Amino acid sequence: MRNVCVIAGGQCQWGVRQATERDLFQEAGKACFEDNKIITNKDIDGLIVGSAFTERCSFQTHLAPLVAEHLGIKPKNICARVELLCATGSTGIIMAAALIKSGEADVVMVIGGEKLYTPQRWEVNYTALAASDHDFDTGMGLGLPPPAFAAVAKQHMKLYGTTEEQLAMVSIKNRRNGLNNSKGQYKEEITLEVAMNARAIVRPLKLFDCCPVTDGAAAIILAAEEKAKYLTDKPLVYFRGSAQASLHNMSANMPSWTTWEALKIAAQQAYNKARVTPQDIDVAQTHDCFTISEIIEYEDLGFCQKGEGGWFIEEGKSDFGGQVPVNTDGGLLSSGHPFGATGIRQGIEIIRQLRGDAVRQVEGARIGLTHNLSGLMAAHTVLIYGRDLE
Amino acid sequence: MMGMMEGKYAVTMDLYPLESKEWNRIYPFYDHLKEGRLTTTVCKDCGKKAYPPRVICPECLSENLEWVDLPTRGRVLVVTEEEVGAPLGFKTPLIHAIVDLGELILFTKMTGVKMGELKEGDEAKLHVFPVDSVPVDGKKGTVIWQERVFYAFTKA
Repeated sequence: MRNVCVIAGGQCQWGVRQATERDLFQEAGKACFEDNKIITNKDIDGLIVGSAFTERCSFQTHLAPLVAEHLGIKPKNICARVELLCATGSTGIIMAAALIKSGEADVVMVIGGEKLYTPQRWEVNYTALAASDHDFDTGMGLGLPPPAFAAVAKQHMKLYGTTEEQLAMVSIKNRRNGLNNSKGQYKEEITLEVAMNARAIVRPLKLFDCCPVTDGAAAIILAAEEKAKYLTDKPLVYFRGSAQASLHNMSANMPSWTTWEALKIAAQQAYNKARVTPQDIDVAQTHDCFTISEIIEYEDLGFCQKGEGGWFIEEGKSDFGGQVPVNTDGGLLSSGHPFGATGIRQGIEIIRQLRGDAVRQVEGARIGLTHNLSGLMAAHTVLIYGRDLE
Repeated sequence: MMGMMEGKYAVTMDLYPLESKEWNRIYPFYDHLKEGRLTTTVCKDCGKKAYPPRVICPECLSENLEWVDLPTRGRVLVVTEEEVGAPLGFKTPLIHAIVDLGELILFTKMTGVKMGELKEGDEAKLHVFPVDSVPVDGKKGTVIWQERVFYAFTKA
């Protein structure tokens, strides 16, 4: 099996964009090629496109050939779309790595994005209902995630003593990390007072505990090691291992609301494949769709003991200078969350951290991790990247 | 095509399932709801009781399934109240609860309760109600309206 490297990455401006889905994909593709001037659209032999709401928000399926055409890419080994809601981008990266490892493709662009702002605001919230089990959860008004994550937060607070202030600290940290991320949705710091007094969405979750709705796209290029060596003049970043686990889909079948068993499985599998332990991770981008999510992720990724996530943020262990800086570019809470692009944005931040050219650099970072959850905490995806193979 | 397009109604973008025999092999679930019963399928070969109901056992893949009743009363474990942003088709506040039915825990919409009214430990019971009928193309341009129900829970 061949080794896989990540050799370029870039994203367009995220936020409320006056642009179509295809505009965003073009901008992200160009930003990716600008990150590495050695590689061009003519070098790409595979294209994987990620988008969750393309049929609903842009009434567009068969998206991959459309994106290829717009970016001047003529794929000859793979040209397809993937979808796993919030983990769509990471899923594309896993697929691309597998194709390269096996020799099915040599140089693959993974590009993902969403156009979520539509002329009528109700449409995107309504479309989110399609993300849960249509016949059993959608009619319950589940699909928009705040009620489910509020239920998670309430139970975590009751079981482990996690506080609303600790939830707010996640948002404060990620907003601070995103201040200098020029492509992110927000560039404003918030204080504890502002976070605590913000309007309620579903208590205990308030406005700043929830990631926003975002238009945006991002792209990354993976290549077989032997090709990567002459397609970049930057330090090589290796795709070390990944895993994806799911134990349920419908809300009634959730094994536990406060311990995400599928995350523990995916993390262990990814650690094993990458031959690392949680203690080896120098920098992580985890799925902070809500503040409570990041707290549970510290625990179930093994960065701290179960129930200690609230204190992990309070003691600064997930901040710069701490045990493992998390969401160093602002995460979903500050950068925004166009589903198909999020895992790719996380990958881009990790490759910059490992190359040593991040906007806010974790000194000497050698091993990085990304994580997404998707649906009603129904699937978990973990990817590990490294500066070295061992 | 949506709403304004020649008066067409996009059934496939509807919130609720297609419930009738013509469209759904688990149609007895909805017939039972109309009788006030919450039911699911149990496997006669391996004994696995699954929710939601199936046409194939998720444990042993048998098709030898039968319908059984589930409890229609339970206890509220957690309450959530969505104060803003409820999706189209739902009123604000949109109240949900995790309800322990004994053999099954459901995360369910709660009807007939106001903000702050529902508490942990309260008893909840099944509430079945009609939802929009489905227009189905009949012969020679006729439209047949198929009636539907859905369920939630309410304070007992």
